[in-house]
Amino acid sequence: MSSPYLHINGIRKTFGEVVATDHVELEIAEGEFMTFLGPSGSGKSTTLYILAGFQDPTAGDIRLRGRSILQTPSHKRNIGMVFQRYTLFPHLSVGENVAFPLRVRRAPQAEIAAKVRRALSLVRLDGFEDRMPAHMSGGQQQRVALARALVYDPPVLLMDEPLSALDKKLREEIQHEIRRIHQQTGVTILYVTHDQEEALRLSDRIAVFNTGKIEQVGTGPELYASPATHFVADFIGNSAFLAGDLVAIGAGRASLRFADGTVLADIPMHGTGLAGGKAELMLRPERIELTAQPGLSGASLPVTVEDVTFLGNSSTVSARTGWGEVLSVRMNFGHPMMGQVRQGDALHVRWQPQHAHVFAKA
Amino acid sequence: MLLDFDKLGAWKWILSAVCALMALFLLLPILFIVALSFGDSRWLIFPPQNWTLKWYGELFADPRWLAAAWTSARIALIVMVLSVVLGLLASLALTRGTFRGRAVLRAFFLTPMVLPVVIIAVALYAAFLRLGLNGTLAGFVIAHLIVALPFSIITISGALETFDPSIEDAAILCGASPWEARFRVTLPAISHGLFSAAIFSFLISWDEVVLAIFMASPTLQTLPVKVWTTLRQDLTPVIAAASTLLVALTILLMIVAALIRKGKSR
Repeated sequence: MSSPYLHINGIRKTFGEVVATDHVELEIAEGEFMTFLGPSGSGKSTTLYILAGFQDPTAGDIRLRGRSILQTPSHKRNIGMVFQRYTLFPHLSVGENVAFPLRVRRAPQAEIAAKVRRALSLVRLDGFEDRMPAHMSGGQQQRVALARALVYDPPVLLMDEPLSALDKKLREEIQHEIRRIHQQTGVTILYVTHDQEEALRLSDRIAVFNTGKIEQVGTGPELYASPATHFVADFIGNSAFLAGDLVAIGAGRASLRFADGTVLADIPMHGTGLAGGKAELMLRPERIELTAQPGLSGASLPVTVEDVTFLGNSSTVSARTGWGEVLSVRMNFGHPMMGQVRQGDALHVRWQPQHAHVFAKA
Repeated sequence: MLLDFDKLGAWKWILSAVCALMALFLLLPILFIVALSFGDSRWLIFPPQNWTLKWYGELFADPRWLAAAWTSARIALIVMVLSVVLGLLASLALTRGTFRGRAVLRAFFLTPMVLPVVIIAVALYAAFLRLGLNGTLAGFVIAHLIVALPFSIITISGALETFDPSIEDAAILCGASPWEARFRVTLPAISHGLFSAAIFSFLISWDEVVLAIFMASPTLQTLPVKVWTTLRQDLTPVIAAASTLLVALTILLMIVAALIRKGKSR
């Protein structure tokens, strides 16, 4: 078997007593769009900085095409990077900014001119060569930064929350640009973000980071449909969690008893747990349905409506279970019960058993 | 805005008048000296009866005045270069460093600004007596560097603080070695700060008189010292001419500094 294109091999980084990343292990294929998703302080940026060479790992190795890059200083790694903040050189024009990596590589003038034009055209900024960075919008500046990072054909492009300073509309616009550029160039991208929507929209695969570790790696649909841990289930998609006790476990299925004695059987289970232990039932809001009667098929629970929030294309109903936990149910616009549900109504929530998940609590 | 100038009513006129008086108060002595330098009266009579350039002629004919001006210029230029180089190094340490006692060090660097110049002068005079630096170019340079450095550090630190270190990181990832990144990106990006520091350092040395009087010897003196010593002997309008040229260069450099700042904010 050939070695992976990029191998992040057991990277550990500690700052004194603080563990920033702990045994991060990841293999990335050539041309893949891999996103590190996680809350701030989860170690995703630290991993990226180690790749860039701004920090040295305490342990572990990073291999590109089978060769370790840790001994190579940052400026010789040939890696491209777009930063969270605007990092265009303020005293140079757009054209000179993009030309900079080629100039320090002592490329011939004709080659520089051609490559700069091509890179600017790639980010749809043709003819902006003579503009100064201070006279450009944030979105344009980040596109120039992207052109500057791609102009020397790096084997890997690192992007550290490059859109976090932009407003929502512009962010979505540039996300499309990034996707197009990825498809057009085939460059391998490592993208850091804390925005799950951004991660889902852009990535081939997502590595979910939490407290210095990777919780799960997979495509967006994989992570959404079968989260491996409570954290992943919670971070991707707005899930409801109901606490209960495990009463029976077997063959990846479990039975759960809630505080009021209700028992739900045959739910897909993740992780290991013991009968009698604590566990949580996870439900995606769009998998649950509100009904007036308990369902004949599937699982259901009696609830009381706590609150109804209208959100345009859907409404969110907060429903309280018999033992006092609250879960939210999404109701799409046009649903027959929309507009009829009132605060205080006694209803039922219903779902297909295979759409719920049980996570054992440590 | 709480204090909108247009909504102040009668206060508007009072404030404008105060402002005009302040400007006059600051400018009159300069206008006075300039007028005297072109007047034909040997006794500095104001207002002058007739206009002449003969005091300037006398000034440029006198080798002692020219020597003093040349000394001033040499000292100011050396102070300017050293002040910018040392100021840059100190500012890098103060803004980028993470060592303990950074705030204390910054305060320490700025003490010459608040310390009475006379005290620095006396202290230096006593120290230089032992080192044999009084009356030497090096003595002048060291003395002026002490008062010029705080201004350098303030302006260069200010420029460095507005410069995001990530930009330097970006240059390094683009393939520039750390030193190349500093020279090709960081220094040009803070050049307005370096220029301001250079101009202010030059002017501080060029205009400085207290330290210079202590450092001066009969054979080595700066232009302000020459003005001062000549003034004590006789009240010739040549002093007014020398002062006018001194002020002219100062104003010229201030305008350059203002233009640099304006160019940066644009």
